[in-house]
Amino acid sequence: MNATALTVKDLTKDYITKSETVHALRGVSFDVPEGDYVAIMGPSGSGKSTLLNMIGCLDRPTDGLLMLGDDNVAHMNDNQLADVRASRIGFVFQSYNLIAQLSVVENIQVPLFYQGNLNRQANRRCRELADLVGLGDRVSHRPTQLSGGQQQRVAIARSLVNDPFYILADESTGNLDSNTTEEILTIFERLNDQGKTIVMVTHEDDVAERTKRIIRLRDGLIVSDEINEGRLRFTDQKTSEIIPENSMQALEAARDARFAAMTLPTNNANSEAAVNTPSGNDDDHVILGGQS
Amino acid sequence: MGFFISWVRTFQLGINSLLLHPMRSMLTILGIFIGVASVIWLLAIGEGISQEAQRQIEKLGAQNIIVRSIKPPAEALGDGIVAVYGLTNREYEMLLETLPQIEHAVPIREVKRTFQFQSTEIDGRLVGSTPKYYETAKLTIDRGRFLTDSDFDKNKNYCVLAKGVASKLFPYQDPIGQKILLPELNDFFEIVGVLKHRGATAGIGGSFAAQDYTKDVYIPLTTMKQRLGRTIFRRVGGSFGGEFVELNQATLQIRSVDEVLSTAKMIQDSLRHHDKMGDIEVVVPLELIEQAKSTRIIFMVFMGLIAGVSLLVGGIGIMNIMLATVTERTREIGIRRALGARQSAIIRQFLVETITLSVLGGLVGIAAGFLGPLVTILVRDGLYLYIPERMSGLPSTIKTMTPQIVEASVPIAFGIAVLVGTLFGIYPAIRAAKMDPIEALRHE
Repeated sequence: MNATALTVKDLTKDYITKSETVHALRGVSFDVPEGDYVAIMGPSGSGKSTLLNMIGCLDRPTDGLLMLGDDNVAHMNDNQLADVRASRIGFVFQSYNLIAQLSVVENIQVPLFYQGNLNRQANRRCRELADLVGLGDRVSHRPTQLSGGQQQRVAIARSLVNDPFYILADESTGNLDSNTTEEILTIFERLNDQGKTIVMVTHEDDVAERTKRIIRLRDGLIVSDEINEGRLRFTDQKTSEIIPENSMQALEAARDARFAAMTLPTNNANSEAAVNTPSGNDDDHVILGGQS
Repeated sequence: MGFFISWVRTFQLGINSLLLHPMRSMLTILGIFIGVASVIWLLAIGEGISQEAQRQIEKLGAQNIIVRSIKPPAEALGDGIVAVYGLTNREYEMLLETLPQIEHAVPIREVKRTFQFQSTEIDGRLVGSTPKYYETAKLTIDRGRFLTDSDFDKNKNYCVLAKGVASKLFPYQDPIGQKILLPELNDFFEIVGVLKHRGATAGIGGSFAAQDYTKDVYIPLTTMKQRLGRTIFRRVGGSFGGEFVELNQATLQIRSVDEVLSTAKMIQDSLRHHDKMGDIEVVVPLELIEQAKSTRIIFMVFMGLIAGVSLLVGGIGIMNIMLATVTERTREIGIRRALGARQSAIIRQFLVETITLSVLGGLVGIAAGFLGPLVTILVRDGLYLYIPERMSGLPSTIKTMTPQIVEASVPIAFGIAVLVGTLFGIYPAIRAAKMDPIEALRHE
């Protein structure tokens, strides 16, 4: 059986304001096995953003289970959540969210910096990642000197630097034109092909069409969770050059040893077996040695 | 190693962020700079003025202990025609030998005498002393000279007249070179100098008895001993009595004002056997010492207060800038939090920035502070060139003082600057860290 990158079970989130209580999530359950590529969709007010904040460990759920691998993060304190974000989640935001006063390679380093893992080895790895997303010749550039697509590629490199359980992409193509969107989506596909788990929050159908599985939310509940049968794939010559086949393996070999030793603060470590694998396309999942 | 790197990195980051807004950083540094420089500068000026004021107080005699012989009441003296009391030469020598903190000592013996020139007579005080008396009593010479060491050594029959005596005895001629007669001694003294007029002293703060200097005639103490002998007989209005007094007064100048009180105590102890007769009084210029102390403290407090206010303003400047920075960098904070920065890491980042600003401001401030005394003097001299009349109206303390850097003020000013910078930086830093990362990420 595949390892599970993310387990969400009966997740609820209430926002209590002065006048009323808003039930943003009313009990959401799903699993994301390793190597999956999931799109979370829904209209505004559906609880999509709330769910994103939960699985991004930016906020705590009111109730329910939220497991990253074997660790329940639902009740972690602020510092523990920060550590989880630093070591297990890779964020790719809509507006790139690079830090203006840092160079490309320094931006990629940020999560390692907060892990306390910044050393020469890590520095080399950040350069390799910059190389991987095709910005090897621009490591010293500032974000303002890059185009939107390039900035988003830096963001992707940054999301990979801590070898996350999953990449959390929040409307990652929302600010990009169609060509660049294509470029970024292809990078995601390639990363997924090489075993990366990706959870993408989007409201664009054509973006969602590129994923393996689509979860639709409405009013804080999952209305559908289906394998994307009509999955579209494009192979763009340009992007193939950016991320060649199996390029991740070499990087991972060096990294796995390092991260294998890392432990996370765990409370309520729950080794409950992965519940209910909604997707049946297990064959698509690639298991990476370092993550099982 | 990793810890070290992370601090180096935080520091680099701080510098980068500060360089991103060089103007703003400069202005913040300026706030602290002015604070530190003004602390050092103002304290230096305060110290300069207070030292000058202290010098003037010392001139008034704050360093002087006066040991005075007093004639005790008749019953204490017992019977006999000659009243024996007061400070002896031996005791005086003993004090000088045993107390190294005495810098100068001026013994005085004084006798009421009549002075005569031709047919004019005047009653006055014959004062035997050493040449140092001239300085200690703050006399100024009008014509001729004061007594010298050689007059003293050679027991010369030279005298110096106070203005009052001179104008009475020599209304129409130059007294220098003339001789006056002391009828009681049947001896002549040659006049070598005349003093400028000096009114009666007003007995400063009560420590010194008011003294009339206008009817004095000064002669060397050695001459006096020789001519007058040790016992002095006087006939006053039919009664006849003698006094045996070796020294009427000794003015002892102590090394520093701080030692005056303790030295006075020692003198009192060593002259204890006089206690039962009560014929010696040790007079300490307490009021002057107190005044010297309080002048210093007043200046320090006053200048320190002004300087403290400017440091405070500098600190508030830092806080202001940092709060603006926090608001402006809300999104960056959100990104960093999302990428795994703990609250403490954000606090550290902002603190490093404020500390960097205040340390830089502090260092520049110290440099400027050291230039302060020079600038002060230049400005004063410059003002003298352009508005000499107004400048001459200033108190002499301001005209002549040289600013003195108070050594302690440098580390204190620097320390306070960094402390103020840090304290005022903590609030914005905590505000930054406490921000909800989701809100912060959404911030435009």
